[in-house]
Amino acid sequence: MKTRRLASIIALFAAFLPLAGQEPWWNGDPSYVTQITESAVVAERPLGEIGQHRTSIDSAALQLTVSQSMADILTYNTSVFVKQYGRGSLATVSFRGTAASHTQVTWNGMKINSPMLGMTDFSMIPSYFTDKADMLHGSSSLAVTGGGLGGAVLLATDNAQKEGLELDAVAGYGSFGTFDGFLKVGYGTKRWHIRTRLAATSSENDFTYRNYNKKEYTYDDFGVPNGSYYPIDTNRCGSIRDLHLLQEAYYTTSGGDRLSLNAWWTRSIRGVPMLSVDYRPGNKYLNQQSENTLRTVTGWNHTGKGYILEAKAGWLHTKQAYDFSKDRGNGTMVSMVQSRSLINTIYGQAEGKWFPVKQLMINAQLAAYQHFVESSDRNAIKESDKVTIGYEQGRFETSAYLSAKWNATRRLGIAAALREELYGDKFSPIIPVINIDYLITNSLTAKVSGSRNFRYPSLNDLYFLPGGNPDLKPESGYSYDAGLFFSKSHEGRYSLDLSANWFDSYIDNWIVWIPTFKGYWTPRNVLRVHAYGIETRASGKLQISRDWQASGSANFAWTPSINHGDPKDWADEAIGKQLVYVPLFSGSSVASLAYSSWRLTWKWCWYSERYTTSDNDMATKIGRVLPYIMNDIVLEKRFALRYTGLSFKLAVNNIFNEEYESVLSRPMPGRNIEFFIEIIPDFNK
Amino acid sequence: MKRHLLLLFTLLAAASCMKYGPREEEQFAADLSHRGLFVLCEGNYMYGNASLTYYDPESKSAENEIFARSNAFPLGDVAQSMTIFDGLCWVVVNNSGVIFAIDPSTFREVRRITGFTSPRYIHFIDSHKAYVTQIWDPRIYIVDPSECRITGYIETGMDFETGSTEMMVQIGDYVYVNCWSYQNRILKIDTRTDSVTQQLVVGIQPSSLVKDCNDKLWTITDGGYEGSPYGYERATLVKIDAESFAIEKTFYFEFGKTPRGLATGDGGRTLYWINDGVYKMQAEDENLPAIPLVEPKGTIFYSLTIDPWNGDIYIGDAIDYTQNGVVMRYSAEGNLLDTFGAGINPGNFCWRAAQ
Repeated sequence: MKTRRLASIIALFAAFLPLAGQEPWWNGDPSYVTQITESAVVAERPLGEIGQHRTSIDSAALQLTVSQSMADILTYNTSVFVKQYGRGSLATVSFRGTAASHTQVTWNGMKINSPMLGMTDFSMIPSYFTDKADMLHGSSSLAVTGGGLGGAVLLATDNAQKEGLELDAVAGYGSFGTFDGFLKVGYGTKRWHIRTRLAATSSENDFTYRNYNKKEYTYDDFGVPNGSYYPIDTNRCGSIRDLHLLQEAYYTTSGGDRLSLNAWWTRSIRGVPMLSVDYRPGNKYLNQQSENTLRTVTGWNHTGKGYILEAKAGWLHTKQAYDFSKDRGNGTMVSMVQSRSLINTIYGQAEGKWFPVKQLMINAQLAAYQHFVESSDRNAIKESDKVTIGYEQGRFETSAYLSAKWNATRRLGIAAALREELYGDKFSPIIPVINIDYLITNSLTAKVSGSRNFRYPSLNDLYFLPGGNPDLKPESGYSYDAGLFFSKSHEGRYSLDLSANWFDSYIDNWIVWIPTFKGYWTPRNVLRVHAYGIETRASGKLQISRDWQASGSANFAWTPSINHGDPKDWADEAIGKQLVYVPLFSGSSVASLAYSSWRLTWKWCWYSERYTTSDNDMATKIGRVLPYIMNDIVLEKRFALRYTGLSFKLAVNNIFNEEYESVLSRPMPGRNIEFFIEIIPDFNK
Repeated sequence: MKRHLLLLFTLLAAASCMKYGPREEEQFAADLSHRGLFVLCEGNYMYGNASLTYYDPESKSAENEIFARSNAFPLGDVAQSMTIFDGLCWVVVNNSGVIFAIDPSTFREVRRITGFTSPRYIHFIDSHKAYVTQIWDPRIYIVDPSECRITGYIETGMDFETGSTEMMVQIGDYVYVNCWSYQNRILKIDTRTDSVTQQLVVGIQPSSLVKDCNDKLWTITDGGYEGSPYGYERATLVKIDAESFAIEKTFYFEFGKTPRGLATGDGGRTLYWINDGVYKMQAEDENLPAIPLVEPKGTIFYSLTIDPWNGDIYIGDAIDYTQNGVVMRYSAEGNLLDTFGAGINPGNFCWRAAQ
């Protein structure tokens, strides 16, 4: 019976093969050695990039370990700080010494920061769904959206416009009971391209670790303690069940108009791991968050003679729940916390680019978001069936942008822009941006920019009950950048890109949540912050011989982020000190060595110590998060079989089995492995 | 090539070394011949950085993080309270769900009780019975401190979502408990039957409970918060006759104020609390004092205790809530005498008598 069913599946699969019309990704050659191309000539410098400080994540990095979230990708491929609350837990991204809510995130153009929290959980974004990932540093983010006091992360799917059937299936099994499954099925014609992607992850996430935050004692025969040890603990309540589904449809008209539809559905149920200082038994508690999210974006793009028009519309729907329940001891769970939130966002955007002359671009952009939010804690009061604590709010947000970008001479590019935002019934001040590029040599460009910036409070900041503060002022400031960008390549031999950028930002009215005497927290405008520093990046490829190729990237950032607010009182030691959980130094690198169909990749990242107190206390024995260094490796091998391409991948994370914390009292796993097998049928054969 | 690869590997391995690991154990020997003050420093919720500071009023010296330094592991998440009984200091660590008993001189852990939901305070009936109050759990846990185990529960009739019990005061065979979070009542528990015999509604969110020299109970209600479905009203100071278990007098604070940190001094003849400044009132007074004994002068007072032996006033200052706090010592007349450093969010105190 089983054999017959298997034969039916194979027959069904074989029936699709004649439909094949697409080249496999290795073009008949499973080699990882790719063509090194010459740098773009200077005359083709895109006007839109004048003054922009952009880091693009290499597509190879996005595809390296498909099971990883964008948090992991950014950790190893950029110098931003990724704050991870544990494996498979909340992960936030911050640029240049700013906060997570100062990083704006867009997906296919639509802002996906939570309107309630202001930030984005990158652990919930699978890299398998991301074809393009760019980071706009500092004021460069104003070309896309406001509010990115640190910068913006732009994530997008890509219409590969492949004709014929495409299929990619990946299965992974790894440590801690982790199963991953990924599937991509697409079909394209000259005008149409439809693709469906699925990513599923299930993990018990029950890794063990030596818990230096607890001690157990040993006793002699008389019950007298005669020794102690740090116990091996298990990560409790940390299980992960994630399912993502992405549907894409693209159509190109005969007139060259491009239409797109992207719909991404996420269903996630994750445990909230217990702290390493928690003595409560994990099996007696349910500490869980779940999310049901649908993000849809539809777009239209028309390129005419001397102009480009684009329009987008979208809808974002999120239901989130947090449950904290306890076993009464008789097997029945009693609920202690039941928090629920519902977000609906309607989005629309129109953009036009006009090229009155070849060297000048006028860009106008208008984006609008209407948020509807309901937040409730069902268990706070149960005097009636009605939900009695929480808030319901709507907010209309608009952001308008106008810029002129001009290649004044072959060497000099100048851009000036204005952005204006409306949130609720309040307007932001006019936000000006000025960018200048100067081509020093054909390989070396200098860029400088300056801007104002502005971020209005999130809905939780204003209305959360209890604690929301409707009197909060927006955060605002000024930012300046100057950098050198070097790019050199020789076709078939090497490519090298180097950049070094200095930045200087002043942010006033920085919002911080602080406790009150009534047992809840409330946000206040308490800090004035000077964030400055240097970001550097190097990336390149080297063709060692016909079959050998080396490639890599390295990032380093020095990011002092200093509190210059007014002292709270005479004892305040926080003035002039680095902000909490902002590393002074961060670095990362990825190095790959490819030999034909083999590839070995080494990933490394480093964060300097992050202070957990605003007075930067180094004498403490309990509050230090020591430098975080991680080494991962990935070994891959491809096979070109007659009808399919096959790839095997072994990823070893934390190869030196380091014991560490990324956030205080949040355990992290030691050495762990995951094995993947990928099948890409060749429908041409 | 091999040599280069080996060198690269060695460099990366070296670069991966970190100092995370065991802590050093330090030896302490606090002088028990004169009194001492423990400062419970809550730390930050979900950080696991609660700590214990020990202050010697004779030598005027303070040692911070004494639990972690002595035991080589941290106290946990949110240090809530401490009670001294039978020569041991019992430290309740709220969000770690644990109570540690430590030696008052060496600060070494000698006992540990686990199995709680979210413990707040421990009150000893005798050497074999103690009560532990909770939030997120309406039951008061009965423990046997000699065996470090939970032996039973006192049902309070509240539900798990909003049931909470807080501070405990014993008069005769009865223990009185204020129910703070989303509650409005004081419970009267018969220690012979371990059951609630009476409840008294006092006002929204009674946050602290003390007894005076006449065995009258005093509680401060914080009045809730604006927008709370449970209600929002003026905070009050309530005097309760323990014997009849009835409200004797209610003093009303200005609407919007959050008085807290009720404490007694002078053998229970004087009451103190924080309401921006520190206020002082005799237990027999008929009106609230109009002016504070200690002005905050730009500081937000976080916690309060009175030296039972000389009436000095100790005030905890959390500063910005994310840095090490300080404790300011004032004379009984309200003059600043000195200060000493403590851990993050010094929220509670416990006095140890001289032996």
